[in-house]
Amino acid sequence: MPKNIYFKATLLSTILLFISCDKDDTPEAENEMEVFTKTVIVVTDLSDDSSETYNFEVEEHDHDHDHSVLRQTQDDDDHGDHTVIELKSNSEYKFEISFLNESDPNNIIDMTEEVIEEADDHHVFYELVGNGISYDSTSGDTFDSNSNPLNLVTKWTTTTATEVEVEAYLLHQPTSKTGNTRDDFGGATDVEIEFEAHVE
Amino acid sequence: MPTAFLLLMSVGSNYGQVCNTSFEGNIISLEQNIPLESAVVEVIGSSKIVTSTASGYFKLEGLCPNSLIKIKISHINCPDFFTEIDLKKSLFENFYLDHKVEELSEIILVDNKLNDLSTSSQPFSLSELEKERYSDSGLAVVLEKISGVNTLSTGNKVSKPVIHGMFGSRVGIIYDGVMLENQQWGQDHAPNIDLNAFDRIRVIKGASVLKYSGSTPGGIIIIDSKAPKTIDTLYGKTIINTLSNGRGGSIISSITNSSQNGKYIKSQITIKKSGDLSSPNYLLSNTASNEKNISITGGKNFTKGNIKLFLSYFNTEIGILKSSHIGNIKDLLRVIESDSPGVINDFSYDINYPNQDNTHYTASLDYNHFFNIDKELSFKYSFQFNNRKEYDLRIGDFKNIPALDLNLSTHNVNSNYTWSNFSGEFVNGIFFEVQDNYSTPGTGVKRLIPDYLNTKLGGYFVYNSNLRKGLNFSFGLRYQYSSNDVYKFYRNSRWENENYEDLLGEYVIKEVLSQKLIRKKVVFNAFSSNVGLVKKFRDKYSLSIHHNYTERAPNIAEMFSGGLHHSLASIEYGDPFLKKERTHKVLLDFEKKNVKLNYRINPYLSYSKDYILAQPAGFEQTIRGAFPVWEYSPINSIFKGIDLDFVYQINDYIKFKNSTSWVEAKDYNSKKHLVNIPPLVVNNEIQFSSDKFKKFNAIIGSKFVNKQNLFPNNNSITSVIENGEKVEKIVDISTPPDGYNILNLNFNWGPYNFVSSNFYLGLSIDNLMNKSYRNYLNRLRFYSDEIGRNILLQIKIKY
Repeated sequence: MPKNIYFKATLLSTILLFISCDKDDTPEAENEMEVFTKTVIVVTDLSDDSSETYNFEVEEHDHDHDHSVLRQTQDDDDHGDHTVIELKSNSEYKFEISFLNESDPNNIIDMTEEVIEEADDHHVFYELVGNGISYDSTSGDTFDSNSNPLNLVTKWTTTTATEVEVEAYLLHQPTSKTGNTRDDFGGATDVEIEFEAHVE
Repeated sequence: MPTAFLLLMSVGSNYGQVCNTSFEGNIISLEQNIPLESAVVEVIGSSKIVTSTASGYFKLEGLCPNSLIKIKISHINCPDFFTEIDLKKSLFENFYLDHKVEELSEIILVDNKLNDLSTSSQPFSLSELEKERYSDSGLAVVLEKISGVNTLSTGNKVSKPVIHGMFGSRVGIIYDGVMLENQQWGQDHAPNIDLNAFDRIRVIKGASVLKYSGSTPGGIIIIDSKAPKTIDTLYGKTIINTLSNGRGGSIISSITNSSQNGKYIKSQITIKKSGDLSSPNYLLSNTASNEKNISITGGKNFTKGNIKLFLSYFNTEIGILKSSHIGNIKDLLRVIESDSPGVINDFSYDINYPNQDNTHYTASLDYNHFFNIDKELSFKYSFQFNNRKEYDLRIGDFKNIPALDLNLSTHNVNSNYTWSNFSGEFVNGIFFEVQDNYSTPGTGVKRLIPDYLNTKLGGYFVYNSNLRKGLNFSFGLRYQYSSNDVYKFYRNSRWENENYEDLLGEYVIKEVLSQKLIRKKVVFNAFSSNVGLVKKFRDKYSLSIHHNYTERAPNIAEMFSGGLHHSLASIEYGDPFLKKERTHKVLLDFEKKNVKLNYRINPYLSYSKDYILAQPAGFEQTIRGAFPVWEYSPINSIFKGIDLDFVYQINDYIKFKNSTSWVEAKDYNSKKHLVNIPPLVVNNEIQFSSDKFKKFNAIIGSKFVNKQNLFPNNNSITSVIENGEKVEKIVDISTPPDGYNILNLNFNWGPYNFVSSNFYLGLSIDNLMNKSYRNYLNRLRFYSDEIGRNILLQIKIKY
């Protein structure tokens, strides 16, 4: 065994001696295949099946020195700082969240598939500031091997008129899949976006 | 400046015949007062050469009377000793040589063989016993025994040495005459070297050894091997360590076959394995590690020179604390506010993600030719290849693909000429180096370090002189041209934010996927110099002053890095327009050496212009949240500090040792303290050994580390939801943890005769009280406590 290592060491040293002197041609750009660049939430009003799409993405643009801006676009809204999702009181909505990698515009990757494939390692959590809205996993959601829902598809129930700030997280390897605050889940945050839910 | 002094005990005998005079005497070890066998006594410029007997006796015959003869005495463990004798008649003299004691020798001892290091800065060295005691640890941990040396770590297995508050490119590691070239820029990149492959380890604090490097204002670590014996013999040693913490163990074995004709071959192997380490209160999941190293040295020593081939393979696989992988700054805040790591699994030997896998190959060929006894010409070629893979917690198809895969190949050729006599020494040389860094593509992560080809070319000369008895002067100069041919991808957003179009636009060679590729040649010319004076007086005192001027070209990371550091939730950027860093450093060294009391006081002051430091520079928004941005930028820095070493032999059985170091570093203009500067450290040790128990000694040691109170505020603010409300919170990455005091015990038994070998047994307990503490200089200090009690059982067999 030691002889083998030694032999490999010598062999490799000898080979490298001859090949490493030339600088290789221009390096290839790295395609970042597993990054998240965009989050999409499709909100469907369960009373009439009408739906609206909200996009959240970081626009790589020069606004301020050193700051790129989390730019959130909404189909028919003025571009405020926070995306506002308008909901009606005493109603039910379906929220479908999906994640995309658009770093190569010619090769858009749906990262939601990766999340579903590794269901045990992922979880979506919405942290709400304020009362009047509740959400739960609903039909069409994905479950992990322990039957925990991933919250990719959730049903939101509103009561009275209110304004609620929402932080949405995609968590990687959370230590727990149940909890009421971000702290309860542990793990690493893969995606974090925020929006306001206005109930009228 | 040989410290060995001679005691004149001339006893005359009257022959007075032409060339029939003799010169005889005894060679005695200065420290132990025992005869030294196999010391070579030669008359310079003649063929007269004898070797001392077992009783230390030598006799040179057939010398001419009334002649002035120059004598050189050399011994394997001693600095060469030169003297001039006015031989009027036959003479008897005893020579006391500064013999390095193999066991339990002091750190405070200096090893000052002139023609070895070509500097009058006195190194600190570790005894063989200390080196072997830490044979299972990495290089940096061993060196922590020396005052002024600290370690900067990432977890418990990745650590790099810090000397006088400086680390990374500012500290050089020379192994077997080769400057270690690995990806040493990041804090989480430890030197890829196995100390066990070498015999000696020495540290020169605060200076460069211009023969090897001119760009290390922190200091330099020199690791080398003794020349093997020139007798027909087969010898070696095996060390077996078992460790309670991590349930680990290691085997270190070496064997040397030497022969009378000067040929020798030495092979050495190290295998280490450890499972998850544990802090006093919890297991540190995914901190297992494996290491396997092998080296082989072969050569031949002949009258007119020697030739040596060295080959080594080093591989280490290190698990990084699982819970240190976080997503964004809010995750970091949660970690800082929590007492224990988020993930604690059952004990395991498995290394999961995140982890590092580092491999280092070295091949070097040395040839030395002695023209005369005092002139030596040497050539050295060395090749190093380093591969570094970092695996992260990733998703999808990239799960098993490293996030970082760097390959660094370095070829170095050096030619050195040394001329020495009894009054001085002159060393000069030239060097040429080509280094290629290549990132294996397909990692799916943008390169942290760009691909580049670096060429270095230069020369040096060093002059060391004994001006008068007891006064030594040294002077050295080094010039280095370095050119970096860099291929760097810039994201368009960064490019626009930094207005790179004006400054770097002409270098763009390709545009792809919202990135620009530039190719740029970055050239630096660096001069470094050393001047030193050493005065020895009244046999036991020595006072020295040194001024070192260092010009250091920014390294590639400082200029071109760009990427996310997961464990710190920060984005790091290099600055492609950095200038070279220029440091003036003045060191004083006062030493007293005496039978009972030895001490050494070593204050220093350094001022750097364009000192390169990573500093907070705003935030960058990503889909993961806002990340603090750190950019390398130049400041004017000032470092001041003091190292103290003290050894007192209380009585025949008890010895007390203390080493203390303190350093303060500031931005000269803003007066802000610098980050990651070691706090006050005080090491105390009491050694018990007795004539009655000749084969036993015990050491009780304590290490006190003060809380670092001098630190910059690099905190950032983030908003989190707490109790149903959005609140702003400070992410306190700046406040250092509390101070601590840890106790260590060490017992050594041996040697005992065991068949045909010597057998030693050692028992050490580190962190005896199983104290929970956190270390300011550990980058993962936010995540977990340091490791708890560790019991090390060591068996050592020398044969």
